[in-house]
Amino acid sequence: MTLLLILIAVVVSGCERLERVFVEEDLLERPPAKRCADCHADIFKEWEKSRHALAWKSEQFRRETENFRKLKCLSCHAPHQVDPEKKPALRVEFREDGVSCVACHFKEETKAMHGPLKVWSPPHPSKKDLSYIRSNFCAGCHQETYKEWKLTKVQKTCQACHMPSLGKKDLIQKFPFYLLHLAKPRHSHEFPALKAKPEDVEVRIEGNRLVLKNVGVPHNLPTADQGDPKLYLIAEVFYADGRRRTVRKVFSPQAKTALVYGRPKVVPLPKGEIREVRVKILRRLAWSDKRELIKEVTLRTPSP
Amino acid sequence: MGNVGLVLGLVVAGSVLFAADKIILKKPPESLKKYYPPQSQKFEFLSNMYSMSTSFYAVNLNINEGNWDKALEWAKKLKETYLKTSKMVPEWKDYFKPKLAEDFVKAVQSKNVDRVIEASKKLGQTCSRCHQDNQIAVKLVFHFPSFDEIKLEDPIEFMEVKTGDYMKKLSNSMKALRIYLEQGNTEMAQEAGTNFVERARGLRAMCSKCHTQKISEEAILGKAFEDALAKIEDLITAEKPNKDEIFKNLALIGNTCTKCHNVHLIPEMVQEAFAK
Repeated sequence: MTLLLILIAVVVSGCERLERVFVEEDLLERPPAKRCADCHADIFKEWEKSRHALAWKSEQFRRETENFRKLKCLSCHAPHQVDPEKKPALRVEFREDGVSCVACHFKEETKAMHGPLKVWSPPHPSKKDLSYIRSNFCAGCHQETYKEWKLTKVQKTCQACHMPSLGKKDLIQKFPFYLLHLAKPRHSHEFPALKAKPEDVEVRIEGNRLVLKNVGVPHNLPTADQGDPKLYLIAEVFYADGRRRTVRKVFSPQAKTALVYGRPKVVPLPKGEIREVRVKILRRLAWSDKRELIKEVTLRTPSP
Repeated sequence: MGNVGLVLGLVVAGSVLFAADKIILKKPPESLKKYYPPQSQKFEFLSNMYSMSTSFYAVNLNINEGNWDKALEWAKKLKETYLKTSKMVPEWKDYFKPKLAEDFVKAVQSKNVDRVIEASKKLGQTCSRCHQDNQIAVKLVFHFPSFDEIKLEDPIEFMEVKTGDYMKKLSNSMKALRIYLEQGNTEMAQEAGTNFVERARGLRAMCSKCHTQKISEEAILGKAFEDALAKIEDLITAEKPNKDEIFKNLALIGNTCTKCHNVHLIPEMVQEAFAK
């Protein structure tokens, strides 16, 4: 019945007038993220699991900013409006939503929700905006990572890895309106931090040196603007004379020792005739205490 | 006495003159904490100090220009702030003499320069007494960041430690490098040197907690610091490490240590002593 009424209304009034009738004004007044879940339930559920959703309310952020006193940090953790390559201003309302739906999608200039798709959305005006599929969209906040990515000259965008495709899905779940929409290409709003695969880090012995190379992650490994994620190297070195030494090293953006994409990182090993090196590489994300294994490999020097 | 005399009188009354063989630091009272971060971001007590200092000078300025009405307005404002401040820190209430603030207003009201000088001297002395007893300690405790909450992960032992413990590990690995080099134990010198370099690089994680602007971080742990570390890293892996070159680069790194310690170490020591 609703469907029929809408169809009649479309015929009688035309789409443009119908859109005005169905506009829900509060959606244009920067609502909290929960309000967007009324229609975009699936996207909201994904976003809720993301670090973007926790950007403001994470205990670590509160602690590191000394109760939100470090003003420089705040605007990226509760941005008013995210625009390509522009540091955002701090949002006034609903800061606990962190990097929220309206922060990324609502534009003051058009009073519309922007996104990469052309959609028909009576409750709010929508605009197709291709900046959402480009890496520089993320650059306002992830400045350092964006610079690192640019230097790699890799074509794969931020979104290609950190907003992986979910195939074609409904953008909204609200009954009966989802029946009026076609499924569209959807990308995850969980914004996964991702974990490097073993093959992303090459390790080899060159004489008395261990050489590491980030060959698979097109930005520094690890990367961060202000956070302190780490990569740990534990190398147990076995010598021909029976000696055994352990070399430990940390690579981090804060110490400026992160593995630059494609650039070998040399780790000198204690002198002696090396027979074998057992290498473990672990990571710790900026917001976690947990160390996770990335790679474990035993390297042997060729027999003389 | 003319206006020049009044200027001198007020300047002496309003400032803190230290002349002492020894300075004793008293632990600032507990109740002062609520006017400083993290409990308050408004620095209410300090703001009152600035307000009173400005009022004092405004009286001086206006009397010198013959504007007694304005001088009186400022004198009343001074009295009001003085009375308000006297109630903010109960432990310090005896430093304040409300009657002297009242006398000061009356002196300005009388338009008698000599009376104003006399009243301002007496009132100013109550400020000076408190400043002499407390100002340095308060500055050291409340105006410098505390390292108490900062923890760093030791890049060698992969353990989170307090700043002081991290510094000990850093300094010990530097000393071990020197010792092993002096003793001619190359292998151990290499290990100690690597540990020192790693720990020195790890300092950035501490500095960047407050020095969030790249430019200020560079001024502290910039190119000269990083180059010296890279050189040490290179030199210690040589078959026969060049001791003198290593010591030369350690001295360059020492410059950074000195710069930061000059700013942060004394306040930190005072804060730590008061915390015990």
